[in-house]
Amino acid sequence: MQSVINIKNVTKALDGREILKDISFSVEKSDIFGYLGPNGAGKTTTIRILLGLFQADSGNVEVLGKNINLSETRRKIGFVLDADGLYDNMTAEDNLLFYTMIYSVPEAKERIKALLKTVNLDDRAGDMVKTFSRGMRQRLALARSMVHDPEVLILDEPTAGVDPSGQIEIRQIMIDISHKENKTIFLSSHNLDEVQRICNRIALIDRGKIKLYGELKILRSGMGKGIVEINTGQPITESLEIEIKGTPALGLQEKNAETLIFSPGEGTGISDIISFLGNRGVKIEGAVKKEASLEEIYSEILKKAEPS
Amino acid sequence: MRDKYLRDTGLIIKTSIKNNIHLKIPLIIYIIVTILSVTGITAIFIIVSILPAMKVGAPDISYIELFSGIIIFTACALGVGVYLNAFAFNSIIREKAKGNIESLLATPLKAESIWIARSIAIFIPGLVVGELFAVLVMIAINYIYFIPEIGFILNPWAAVSSFLIVPLVFLALSFLAHLVGLTSRAASANLIVQIFLPVYANIMINLSNQHVLEITSWTFAAANFGLAAAIFIISIFLMGRLKKERIILSG
Repeated sequence: MQSVINIKNVTKALDGREILKDISFSVEKSDIFGYLGPNGAGKTTTIRILLGLFQADSGNVEVLGKNINLSETRRKIGFVLDADGLYDNMTAEDNLLFYTMIYSVPEAKERIKALLKTVNLDDRAGDMVKTFSRGMRQRLALARSMVHDPEVLILDEPTAGVDPSGQIEIRQIMIDISHKENKTIFLSSHNLDEVQRICNRIALIDRGKIKLYGELKILRSGMGKGIVEINTGQPITESLEIEIKGTPALGLQEKNAETLIFSPGEGTGISDIISFLGNRGVKIEGAVKKEASLEEIYSEILKKAEPS
Repeated sequence: MRDKYLRDTGLIIKTSIKNNIHLKIPLIIYIIVTILSVTGITAIFIIVSILPAMKVGAPDISYIELFSGIIIFTACALGVGVYLNAFAFNSIIREKAKGNIESLLATPLKAESIWIARSIAIFIPGLVVGELFAVLVMIAINYIYFIPEIGFILNPWAAVSSFLIVPLVFLALSFLAHLVGLTSRAASANLIVQIFLPVYANIMINLSNQHVLEITSWTFAAANFGLAAAIFIISIFLMGRLKKERIILSG
């Protein structure tokens, strides 16, 4: 698959402090790539390098196979930064018009009209941006990032400070952009639920190092490996519990009224657990191999990274 | 390439002016301060210097030219300078904090274009208002005091200094202030423009008033031109600091 963003062994120090320590990852075409990490982990520095605002001290950064410092490359990137950078004393339409002129967009008026409709601001086109809520500003910033029909969108916490309904709206716009317009999205976010909902691949950065990187689905099943939830549909007897506990390989973790949660040892699979219970006459209504949530993965990785 | 550079610069100038003129409070402050200052200083020089000179049977034309020149100079300097004072804060500090500058830097625009455009944008409206005030004051004092007695008075060197060279000084100051504001703490730029106007206007008026450097002489024009050139040269010298990374980190 074609890499749209390629970061290889990038390091960056600011004021003598190493912010990025040899980070590498790539973002493929049409990905919605989640870039996660705690405050001060290096997310914004990475974004600034990707936008050509900062120069990496070493390593290689390519967007669409080209050097980021080329004006031609920057034309193919849209962005929403942490501070939206909108002009408060100009209308929504004029804010977009300004950027269409920067990028020399043909038929700008039509493009603006369509974009304002995409972000549900077509009825506020002539209003000053200073009258907009945080959610509306972020939607307008998102529209601005697309005025020149870029191939890649780099978004720095686009839903930060936005109310839940606004977040849902922005999320839907991002999904539409990715799916309908086939854009690649690099999304830096603190919102794990949001990333879990819309991203297909992620990277987790902590203290300047990439701690986790890959396909979210694989990471979730990989990290959740071993957790098996069995629903018996009938109360679990004490004698059964004693029997299960007497077989440590099954790794019983938790027992609820009609549910058993196992973390089986090596060599023991879900089928072994099912046959163990089946042999004892236990009716099994459901068996689920549990995937780890992104929140669990995040906490686990950061916990491991904590200095002892 | 050069056309593109000029087009980008023109675009940012237009947008910055458009955004600034909607800032009602600074605009009201600017207009009130300029009207009060220009009217006050005009009144003082008319009462203290021009009226007594006009009461003499044969007024000394060079004396009248000197003081009417000082009035026009003051009107121009205040018009341009106060605008710079009122809007420098918004142009540099607020736009840096609100991310407008960082967003522009992430586009294909050059940092130099942004710097030049913002410096000019903060200067043009002040220039228009300042020159308008100066022309109005010049016409008013001529019609009220001079034309009935001695005819239209306007010294060519005073006109050159006031209408051309004083704006040049403030344009150079705008370049320097924006360069400093973009590449270091934005408050430093604000401080530069706040201090410059009263110090500059006072020194120039006093030098002219005491006949050390008369506004009606070519030396006054040359001294001001030299000042503008010196400020431009400092700006060019500091241009190397205009790096995207520095601009963002200085925010």
